Amino acid sequence: MSSYALFLGCTIPARQPNYELSARKALAKLGIELVDLANMTCCCPPPIQSIDLETSLAVAAYNICLAEEADLNLITLCSGCFESLAMANTILKDDEQLKAKINRILSQVGKEFLGNKEVKHLLQVLVDDVGLNRLKQSVSKPLSKLKVAPFYGCHALRPSELLKLDDPERPTILENLIETLGAESVEYRNKLKCCGGLLRGYSDDLALNLAREKIVNTTKAGADCIGTLCPFCFVALDIGQMQMKAKFQETYDMPVLHYSELLALALGIDPKELALQTHKIKTDKILNKIS
Amino acid sequence: MGEVKVGVFLSDCGKQLSEILDFEALIKYVKKVSGVVLVGKSSEFWRGKGLQIIVDAVKRGEINRVVVAESLPKLSEVNVVKAVEEAGLNPYLAEVIDLKDHCAWPHRKTPKEATEKAKAMLLSAIERAKLLEPLEKLEFPALKSTLIIGGGIAGMQAAVDLADLGFEVNLVEKAPFLGGLAARAGRFFPTDDCAICIQSPASDVKTITHTSRKCVYRSGFSEIPNLNMLTNSKVVSVEGVPGNYKVTIKKKPTYVDELKCVACDLCTTVCPVEVSDEYNAKLKTRKAIYMRIPNVHPPVYVIDESVCKFHDCAKCVEVCPTKAIKLDQKSEQTTLNVGSIIVATGFQEWDSSVIKEYHYDDYPDVITNLELARMIDGFGPTGGMIIRPSDRRPAKKIVFIQCVGSRDRRWNPYCSSICCMISLKHASLIKSAYPDKDVTICYIDIRTTGREHEDYYERAREMGIKFVKGRPSEISRDPETGKLIVDVEDELLKRLLELEADLVVLAPAMVPAEGTQELAGILGLELDGDGFFKEYNAKLRPTETKLRGIYLCGGATFPKDAPTTSLQAHSAAIKAAKFLTTGKIVKDQRTAVINEDYCGDCEFCPVTCPYGAISLVPTTEEHFVAQVNDLLCEGCGVCVGTCPLNAIELRHSRPNQMLAQMEALMSVNGTSKPLVLAICCSECGHTAVDSSGMAMMQYPANVRVMKVPCTGILQVHQFLEAFKAGAQGVMVVGCKSDGCHYEVGSAKAEKKVELARILLKEYGIEPERLEMFNMVFIEGDKFAEATQTMTKRLEKLGSLQLMGAS
Amino acid sequence: MKHGKEKKTASQAFSSVVKSRLGGETITLCYQCGTCASSCPVGKITDRFNPREVIRLALLGEKDEVISGDAVWLCCSCYNCQERCPQKVEIADVMYALRNIAFKEGYIPNIYSEFASALLNDGRIVGVSKFVEKKRPDIGLPPLQPTGVDSLRKILSATGFDKLQQKKEGA
Repeated sequence: MSSYALFLGCTIPARQPNYELSARKALAKLGIELVDLANMTCCCPPPIQSIDLETSLAVAAYNICLAEEADLNLITLCSGCFESLAMANTILKDDEQLKAKINRILSQVGKEFLGNKEVKHLLQVLVDDVGLNRLKQSVSKPLSKLKVAPFYGCHALRPSELLKLDDPERPTILENLIETLGAESVEYRNKLKCCGGLLRGYSDDLALNLAREKIVNTTKAGADCIGTLCPFCFVALDIGQMQMKAKFQETYDMPVLHYSELLALALGIDPKELALQTHKIKTDKILNKIS
Repeated sequence: MGEVKVGVFLSDCGKQLSEILDFEALIKYVKKVSGVVLVGKSSEFWRGKGLQIIVDAVKRGEINRVVVAESLPKLSEVNVVKAVEEAGLNPYLAEVIDLKDHCAWPHRKTPKEATEKAKAMLLSAIERAKLLEPLEKLEFPALKSTLIIGGGIAGMQAAVDLADLGFEVNLVEKAPFLGGLAARAGRFFPTDDCAICIQSPASDVKTITHTSRKCVYRSGFSEIPNLNMLTNSKVVSVEGVPGNYKVTIKKKPTYVDELKCVACDLCTTVCPVEVSDEYNAKLKTRKAIYMRIPNVHPPVYVIDESVCKFHDCAKCVEVCPTKAIKLDQKSEQTTLNVGSIIVATGFQEWDSSVIKEYHYDDYPDVITNLELARMIDGFGPTGGMIIRPSDRRPAKKIVFIQCVGSRDRRWNPYCSSICCMISLKHASLIKSAYPDKDVTICYIDIRTTGREHEDYYERAREMGIKFVKGRPSEISRDPETGKLIVDVEDELLKRLLELEADLVVLAPAMVPAEGTQELAGILGLELDGDGFFKEYNAKLRPTETKLRGIYLCGGATFPKDAPTTSLQAHSAAIKAAKFLTTGKIVKDQRTAVINEDYCGDCEFCPVTCPYGAISLVPTTEEHFVAQVNDLLCEGCGVCVGTCPLNAIELRHSRPNQMLAQMEALMSVNGTSKPLVLAICCSECGHTAVDSSGMAMMQYPANVRVMKVPCTGILQVHQFLEAFKAGAQGVMVVGCKSDGCHYEVGSAKAEKKVELARILLKEYGIEPERLEMFNMVFIEGDKFAEATQTMTKRLEKLGSLQLMGAS
Repeated sequence: MKHGKEKKTASQAFSSVVKSRLGGETITLCYQCGTCASSCPVGKITDRFNPREVIRLALLGEKDEVISGDAVWLCCSCYNCQERCPQKVEIADVMYALRNIAFKEGYIPNIYSEFASALLNDGRIVGVSKFVEKKRPDIGLPPLQPTGVDSLRKILSATGFDKLQQKKEGA
């Protein structure tokens, strides 16, 4: 049985218990053990990288050290955490000088980054450790009539040289994972474009503008819902939709579900156990469609 | 050998040197050296009466070794050596040294020390002369025939030149017809005339005019009597040496007899197999039997063996009026014996599908310039119409994208040099035929550097072709209209554009032709970092390689336009002909020689030799020894420096000769400063010393210069010998390591110096007494500076006392 | 667009400053092809941000305009530009480097000031309230592990992060 140290980050425990819940339950059913380590902190994603890159690297390295000490690889559910940790892991493994510098900082808290563990995104764990075949076999409630618009966000894929999750221009991992659940993966215009999440709080106008494009394009393409893999994207598209309705005086109704939620549903987990009420855009019609 | 009788001749350069050096003392000194039987002094010895003195002495048999101290030995030596040879003495027994630029000029402020140094220099030359051996000129036969690999315009032009000179020319081309890229390109910039045009051969009786240039098909090319054309052929292996290569060629079957086929096209009408025509940008289909494009030469039909049903069908055989189709044709292997080889394999377009955001692989309406050329061609698959391959409708809006994969650090960092002009050419041809079409070129920079290229660009603008300065980020497709959308920033307007296009034309990077790497392996040629064949020296010898006998021309070394290709073709032809005209290769015998008794078969030397001159041969005792091929050996001595068992010596720079020189140079002191031995390579190092003297730079006379062919010849123990001989410090002066005239010598010397320093430390000698300096001829000031640095350093370190040292 | 006055020493200095910072090492490779500008999702919806322009200003030494402006804060860090840059300029990372310089010199947008404070105080950029933490077992989630605030604070001190919040007058 594969074991991973679970890196939750900040947004998920603070705002999206639904993501955490669906992930824990689905992975448990698939035989992936998640270990909760003490003393993890924020991963220092783009908002902190904007303030000081070195701090972000050092803190990311610190968190990886905790996993190294527990002799576990890390799994992240949030793409922002994935980018921060996986990038730090790769950069420090390759750059001896930088690694030495960061380790000098980490020595102040009694830690040393060794670079002997991997940081993986949920999607990678599903493909590498479970495999699409076993996953298909574990699906007890195929999402047969569901049309899902896959939304990667940015930081699962890019910078591709450092993250190496999939081809940044023509990724297929999410589409494959969606189809493995029995659902139909829907193509739509500008699928890989950013949701504008990072601009929320600095320029809500622009952020909403970018998020709106996603809602419009997925609606045009006939999707029933958007499948996400990042809590930032989720917020931008879910809470964001409420804000868009107010700002642009338009009606949309595009439910946004994390891949792990779709996965949990397909694995037969009772929707009532998934805290779906936390979604601002109601998921009722999705649940109806798949039952 | 008999008694050695040395004649020493001192030129005082029109009495200038005797103002500084005490010639009386020098003559007195030299007379006392054992083996010296004659000493002369004159104002010049390299010509005239002075030279006659030397010649007479040789003829009388009074001397059998000659040492001359003369001005500018690198020039004067030529005369002296020639005269001495004519007088009957082996020219390798004469030695010329420079008391002017290496002694009098740089030490004019310390004439007494200069004189003492001059004594040491003369002694060194005399001791060396005593150990010199006669060497012969080596002659190797050279076949008056050549092989040209590649039948594009480069190969064809070189072929015409060589055939006209009377050589037997073998032209090998991998396609079934000649022309290479030119055949597909249609027209060449800046004249927009036919690409497939070459100079006519002299053998074309009707065209003995000076002004002829002809399309290949009517150039009489294939009728040149001494030209052997092998199309549909590839080079399989090459053995042998320059002047005498044995080349194996494999000719693939076309299944059609070229001499019988009359190109009536009946066969294609009955052939049941139809496939997409890649050569014509998939704009049409072709049959299993087909002619690539109508106006190629020779006009051959070819059967695509991967799709043909052969005897299960044979319909074409039935209808062919001249019985030209031979379904049982087999590959043929031929062996050619040639004297020299010219590589003219050209280049090709890079695979643009790598840049996924441009969708070259999955949008049919995204094509490349070469594919567009087929559309523009009036005889092409679209009859000259510019269409959208997806639905065959006319393309009204055409967008070009430059630098696709070029100037791109991810793929091909260089600029491919011709794509700006190619796109301008295509855009202009389209716009002049169809003025209403909307043509835009998206660029990072427009590079129109050649003759008349800027005018071409101006005319393009006058035609109304639009130019957007910006590299597009993405091509997408409107799902409803099917039109392409090109996302690009117009930097000059600072505006983001979404250009609508029916057709997008990519200008991809130009990369080495397919098969380049394989051919490089077969020929033993080096490729540069971008995979192109590496020329020997881009400035001076752009069509030669470091291997004698193998030459390069055209796009094989780097993408280039037609005029430059022609230039290189003519150049390569001359180079290839150079030694073939005499029918022999004449070489110096200053080559390496291996003592088989010492050779340990370790294989270091064959790997190290930059010219592939050393190979391992089996001996009778079932083990291998290294053997030097005198024809290939360039006389650098790098092998000597590499051999761990001291089994190799370089003639004319043997270890005993070098030791004698070292000891002699250190034996005469006459200076208060510590003695420094400066071992200089004959290329950059020694010339830097010349240069400092010519400019009359002053440096101390404790520095004694010794010349070696290449610093790569030096072995670690020789540095130790120098200290033993009395040197307080040793300078190794060589070419810059990336500019070594013998490729690797300078870098190897650096390694030796490093190793030697470790040893010195073990012996309790300060390692900084030994240092390597790199410089070129015009850095004479660097040499002077280095001597000062060394001298000061040694003065600080104090005197070195070696036990048992002289 | 301001007239660029010739600032000889300043222009040498600023691109070198950026180059010497983590993330900014590749800025001088830029040859202004504009691929980034065309790939940028933010640039598509506003002319307040153009990555090529920001880099150009930085290369020309217009430090003040770059770090005091709002353009650098409009990059949404999607890395599309960095993926497609033909000179392998790490454009998104350069934006971070420029932001880092701006922040250090006191040009601090409010939201980022909040992020910094949250990190220093709670060890998280988004704090988990006691209320939310208590609700976890109700939903079926295991208790939350303690956050390593002490270690984090030490690291933030070691990198000097804690000293960065000196806001410039009127910024």
